[in-house]
Amino acid sequence: MIPGFLKWGAAAGVVVGVAFVLAVPQWTHPSATGIQVGPPPTSMILFPQGQQVEPVPQVPPAPLPPVVASGQLAKAVYKNVQVLGDVDQAEFMRLQEAITQWVAPKQGCGFCHAGNDFSSDEKPQKVAARLMLSMTRTINADWSNHVAPSGVTCYTCHRGQPIPAETWFPQAAKPVKPLVANQQPYNEAADTVRKFFPDAGWALFFVGDENISAQSLSALPGTNQVHSFIVVTRIYEMMMQMSDGMGVNCGFCHNSRAFWDWSQSTPQRWTAYYAIQQIRELNNNFLLKLADAIPMKRIRVHETTLPVLPTVEAGIQEGNGLAVCATCHYSQPKPMGGADVISTYPSLVGPALPAKEANASPANANQQEAEAK
Amino acid sequence: MARFHTLYNAIQVTGPVEDELPIEGSTFGGRVGKPFHSKLLGLIGETQVFPVYLGITGMLSLVCGFIAIEIIGLNFLAAVDWNVVRFIKMLPFLAIQPPPAKYGLTLFPPLAEGGWWLLAGFFLTASILLWWVRMYRRARALGMGTHVAWAFASAIWLYLVLGFIRPICMGSWSEAVPFGIVEHLNWTATFSVRYGNLYYNPFHMLSIVFLYGSTLLFAMHGGTVLSVAPFGGEREAHEISDRGTSVERAGCFWRWTMGFNANFESIHRWIYWFAILTTITGGIGILITGTLVDNWFLWGVKHGIAAEYAPIAGRPDILPPGMIKLPSLATPEGFR
Repeated sequence: MIPGFLKWGAAAGVVVGVAFVLAVPQWTHPSATGIQVGPPPTSMILFPQGQQVEPVPQVPPAPLPPVVASGQLAKAVYKNVQVLGDVDQAEFMRLQEAITQWVAPKQGCGFCHAGNDFSSDEKPQKVAARLMLSMTRTINADWSNHVAPSGVTCYTCHRGQPIPAETWFPQAAKPVKPLVANQQPYNEAADTVRKFFPDAGWALFFVGDENISAQSLSALPGTNQVHSFIVVTRIYEMMMQMSDGMGVNCGFCHNSRAFWDWSQSTPQRWTAYYAIQQIRELNNNFLLKLADAIPMKRIRVHETTLPVLPTVEAGIQEGNGLAVCATCHYSQPKPMGGADVISTYPSLVGPALPAKEANASPANANQQEAEAK
Repeated sequence: MARFHTLYNAIQVTGPVEDELPIEGSTFGGRVGKPFHSKLLGLIGETQVFPVYLGITGMLSLVCGFIAIEIIGLNFLAAVDWNVVRFIKMLPFLAIQPPPAKYGLTLFPPLAEGGWWLLAGFFLTASILLWWVRMYRRARALGMGTHVAWAFASAIWLYLVLGFIRPICMGSWSEAVPFGIVEHLNWTATFSVRYGNLYYNPFHMLSIVFLYGSTLLFAMHGGTVLSVAPFGGEREAHEISDRGTSVERAGCFWRWTMGFNANFESIHRWIYWFAILTTITGGIGILITGTLVDNWFLWGVKHGIAAEYAPIAGRPDILPPGMIKLPSLATPEGFR
């Protein structure tokens, strides 16, 4: 009794539907190999191969060959060396060469240095580089509970580009429309899901020192001071940034049945805790100052892949990007697979390193080795 | 034997328009629409379309519902500067949020900060309640029981708990659900995280049992009745009082399958109560979250429903500074 046109229509619909599903989306084939990180019933499983790969090199370049110490300090040879003055002159030049390779391989020395006067601070890039050098040295010296043993170099963030690919520009507040319901600050100009979701709340935790307590510590309502609902939403967004920026899921650090509970968490949560503290220090003490040193205005072009979608102005991005997890991690649990990058560049460890006499860290051992030569 | 093998009806009965029962009492805005027969609709239901009874409550409900949808839709459009393409792109993410916590239970916060939420919520609730009255009165007008109206009331209970009763108990509209596709899902996820994992809420458990149980019973019953259609099983209402060969076979099938069977009447009570209890228990579970219980996982620990796992190896013994050591579970014997 079913009319013929319905039968043929249904058949054609099924064929078109299947063809659409197969042809239109870009299918990937992630590996389903999982690594169990918690006790078996908790299903704390990581899927390392399933993560999207960021379009940056994920292995560090080979270290430059070691140099014979000249016996003279950089500050004795060159003028206006403020951060690396106590480094041997030969090692100093080796590092300069490496920095060029890491940050400005196409632009060369002239990216920072004005003309032939290498001591001049004329170019703002030079001032910025000095600030970034002291930042790198501070990270390696003071934040070993996050970055040891691999350490960080300029390349950890820059990956061969003058501006790191993954930075966070705090969005200017949108103009208030008094007669229209306020919207969550989704970023319409985003080209990835991570950038699409509201990032306005990251400032609470990555610039400010708002505590990240989303859950009550007692079963029944009591005196626990837990954030209001909207701040919990902001915590959620910040944590998803962390998860996506590192290419891991919640189970990398947490047992999701009790996010707050340190007694059910993995050792990685300790590392991540110090990482959040570190990002706060970097953003406040270095990257916000960088905005003064190197005033920038950028207009991000939004290229949509679907012609029907309107082009949305990202707005002018002023100042400079701040650091978030993805800035170094680029969707990997450890940047560049946890490769040791610091032991071959001991001058990138700041004087604050307390292990000078303990000689426990490989960086320090290497420094002594270099001195012995 | 091709009958009832698809969603489509095998038989279409067409003829003169049915003589409907007379309406008692007020007929203001009563039956409207000239009846006609539709072959297409006859494939999935009755062939006759119209009249529909609107009545005063039906019309008011439609007006209130229209106002609520307009408030929501026009706010969405205004939020994307009246750009239709942006509207389509952003539709899943647009929302009307309830007032922020600082406004408490204020009835008239600024329009941009929850004022529209209260207005949309008022008109949507009025529309739903008026529709309920209409269903109740139509059932009464036909001399039926009011089962459907009460089933609908159970869903309304959950709706009111989420957007009205619980926010009042918590003293703030900010606890309520936003109007928006992704935003109400985000609310759900945040709600579970904020209140320490809703899976340990026993009423959430019950609600899931009844929800899944409803679908199971629905499939069992639908399948049973269709399978005895060759013996006249689709006339199940008749066979409740006068058991024929189809009901004998259907009952026998389940008795042979699991040793016990519902009968043609009681199966409907099973399904009815499973469906109704889904939202009754769900509403209770939401209502006591935040008001009586602040962290469901810890509540579960307190009452022995949270399993103990071996601690994860390699954790430092010292917590980061400022972090509170509050072991949720005693370390099991044999570990450490």
